[in-house]
Amino acid sequence: MIDEALAWQVELARDDADWEGYMAWLEADPRHREAFDSVALTEAMVDEHRNEVRALLEAQAPDSPSANTLSPTSPYRPRRPLRWVMGGGLAAALALAVGLPMMWAPEAVTGYAAHAGSSRTVALADGANVILSPASRILVHGRNAARIELASGEAYFAVRHDPSRTLTIEAGPYRITDIGTRFSVNLSGGTFRIAVSEGAVAVSSDKANGQVRLQAGQQLTGGADGNLALAPVAVADVGSWRDGRLSYNDAPLALVVADISRYSGRRIIVDSSLETRHFSGTLVIGDGSRLLPDLAAVMGLAVHPQDGGALRLGGADR
Amino acid sequence: MHVNADQESDVETLYGLHRAELRRLLLARVGDPAEAEDLLQELWLRARQRPAGPVENGRAYLFRMAQNLVVDRLRERQRRMARERRWSDQETDFTPTGVEPSDRRETAEDQIIAREQVAALLSAIASLPEGARRAFELHKLDGFSHAEVAQRLGISKSGVEKHMAVAMKYLRRALLD
Repeated sequence: MIDEALAWQVELARDDADWEGYMAWLEADPRHREAFDSVALTEAMVDEHRNEVRALLEAQAPDSPSANTLSPTSPYRPRRPLRWVMGGGLAAALALAVGLPMMWAPEAVTGYAAHAGSSRTVALADGANVILSPASRILVHGRNAARIELASGEAYFAVRHDPSRTLTIEAGPYRITDIGTRFSVNLSGGTFRIAVSEGAVAVSSDKANGQVRLQAGQQLTGGADGNLALAPVAVADVGSWRDGRLSYNDAPLALVVADISRYSGRRIIVDSSLETRHFSGTLVIGDGSRLLPDLAAVMGLAVHPQDGGALRLGGADR
Repeated sequence: MHVNADQESDVETLYGLHRAELRRLLLARVGDPAEAEDLLQELWLRARQRPAGPVENGRAYLFRMAQNLVVDRLRERQRRMARERRWSDQETDFTPTGVEPSDRRETAEDQIIAREQVAALLSAIASLPEGARRAFELHKLDGFSHAEVAQRLGISKSGVEKHMAVAMKYLRRALLD
């Protein structure tokens, strides 16, 4: 039925569209109307976000250093799939898209999102508590919340350890199992980080064999390139965003910047020359607006406002 | 003056000519006679407001206008629902003490809803089969017509249409799960 609606949408774009046939199709079954609604809404959303999507795709194309300056009629050149600004949410959203072949999927999925500017606590079945940091989103699959997917942002989990339970938390290509008890997971800017403050977890990745066991006081970071790094972390720093601080220990700059983007509500472009940089240190969140200038100051970088409200993090002007 | 009056009456003539069909379209499209009548009124007002200029293929023009009106309403309804869903979710502790930066005109919900949609769109676009992705980017993002896309990709126009149908199918799934 969706296929029919899609076919009509294509047909109606023609100059000699068969409006008579379209009306007859709509009248034949009230469900046709709903199918067409969903197709028309999709198109409306695409049109509405066209410029933003375009700019982000351009920003991620490796051969275009200036993201916002291309004219609407620039000649076609192939774009590589998204790399790092949206890369993390990508896999998760992809899993969602592929996992739900129908509008009415048999498995119940509930999405929880925190507003920009506020965190949010979600109590799930079986005594699992999740605190979502601002502008973050999880998807809870199944009635018993057996599978939780971090779609984007950071979430702090407090889960009672229970060997009989098979809770899995997914974040992009990463999978967290054998869970107990307190840890923070971040999926931003194509990078992944899990830090454990109490208990232990096991982490595996679609991109690597085997699994890594993490104890309290350890963190695992996965870069956009899929490389994993295990490092110690101060337990007090795990989930410190709940107390208004962002703490990093050798974190990829992409992750730091994606966090700042969430807290400040600003789109941030990072010069490609900085992609491999890492950051260690603590930033005070406040209202979010000082995060990027503070980071730039600590790292000896500069913030350049761009057209369209975005900010570019680049080398300091000489 | 005379020209303007002529053109105005042109649209009105067109509307008068196709009124019954437009009503049929709107009723088939929304399913509710009262809403269809309301939309028909709005369509008439909009048609009269359109800037002066000749209308080619007036029937299709009015039909497309009617279709767009329906989508505008759908979109508004959907936005409202998304906001309400968000409001019904309870919030906790972390609330920023600072003042909102002045360049944030939209509400926080609108922003996060939009950001989620953009993220979903980007993921879905990246997941498209190669041909559908290229056709989609050229047509929807770069604004080339189906014929221009066909020429650039070296495929037939119906090939482009097939790619577009595949692309919209993926995106629909990603956006409206």
